[in-house]
Amino acid sequence: MLKLATASRHDRGHYSLADTSEPMTGTTTTAQPWDEALTFVALKRDQQAYADLFNYFAPRLRAFGMKMFGNEQQALEMVQDTMLNVWKKAALFDASRGCASTWIFTIARNVRFDMLRKKQSRKDDISADDLWLNGEYPEPAADDAAAQWDNQLLTEKLAPHFNQLPPAQREVMEKVYLQEKTHQEVADELAIPLGTVKSRIRLALDRLREALDGARN
Amino acid sequence: MAHAIKFHPGMSLLEQFAEGCLSADVALAVAAHIDLCPHCQQLHNDVTADLASQVLLQPVKADNTDWNSMLSNIVANTDMSQQDKPQAERPQQLIEVSQRQFELPRALRRLGANHGKWLHLGGIATAKLPTGNDHHVSLLYISKDTEVPQHTHLGLEMTLVLAGKIVDENGEYHAGDLLINSPDDTHTPRTMADEDCLCLSVLSAPLHFKKGLTRLLNPLQQFFY
Repeated sequence: MLKLATASRHDRGHYSLADTSEPMTGTTTTAQPWDEALTFVALKRDQQAYADLFNYFAPRLRAFGMKMFGNEQQALEMVQDTMLNVWKKAALFDASRGCASTWIFTIARNVRFDMLRKKQSRKDDISADDLWLNGEYPEPAADDAAAQWDNQLLTEKLAPHFNQLPPAQREVMEKVYLQEKTHQEVADELAIPLGTVKSRIRLALDRLREALDGARN
Repeated sequence: MAHAIKFHPGMSLLEQFAEGCLSADVALAVAAHIDLCPHCQQLHNDVTADLASQVLLQPVKADNTDWNSMLSNIVANTDMSQQDKPQAERPQQLIEVSQRQFELPRALRRLGANHGKWLHLGGIATAKLPTGNDHHVSLLYISKDTEVPQHTHLGLEMTLVLAGKIVDENGEYHAGDLLINSPDDTHTPRTMADEDCLCLSVLSAPLHFKKGLTRLLNPLQQFFY
């Protein structure tokens, strides 16, 4: 549904919130219409899309500001600053990196932080800009690093169980997974049937899976 | 393979950071850790998205604000010149101390570029960051094979290893590791013979040196504080 709506929208080259179902009712938490609206603001400075975003988010930001500041004047100052930033910085938004609500929230948080410091122009103080990216996204390299970290974590978790495999299974696993040999190469090297290599791998994987599940429970 | 960071801020610290509710200097240490730690970057993103949906995707009561005039004021604003330079384009400045050069994580670059004078004492050097509040935030450089005299803390001490390695009675800390010591902890951090260390140090109260002659250091504690 949404995909089709988006496509037709692009064909017509203009923005319309009416294509999507019930985004204005309070209970739905479908974030996608807002991602599209913000993308339209980003790409075309589309005033209708911005007005839709504003009408939805401004009252919610006000409620957030009331909770944090306890007074309406500051709450509205925060809304004004935040929504002005959304208008000006929309080009930085990238729907593939997170939803519009998150992006807008981080801008509001930063505005509020600097309001509380009341020193945003001072060079000798910590500002929201130091602590968080302001509408920007981290270097994509971080994803690789995260994957590497997860991988390392898994390796660290697996290592002790790996060492407890029966020697025959461990030998096969080392050749296949650490030395990256083919099953046939391992069979040739150890002078055992190919089927035996495969069954030892299956048994070892089974053991490891069990060991990891056990560690989790 | 990259060293896996082992000492992270706890979940509630991350949540308060994402919400913007930590005091600024504690937040600075957490932000610099996140810059160095892909695992916490991911957690921080998740926590932030979760908070955002709690705050901004819930129903809200109607109020009397004149939203239309605020809206038209904003869209009338076509002056985009106030936009800051993207952080990614800001130049990296190297920090130089004891003939060594270090890169700082993103969160510390602006303040690090304006650090105070390096004060040297034995193998230790310290330079304050201009953070203008009651916690004391400084860079701490420890040469190879140097012991920081045993001390306790009258308040909270946060140490983020930025480069190199430091060890104490409880373990080894590498770049990205974040140590939080409460007033009850006593420790003697030191560097090994083969590696010096640069840290970010956030102190909420002066250190108190405990042992022998180093008690004489107490009058010098403003050096660390």
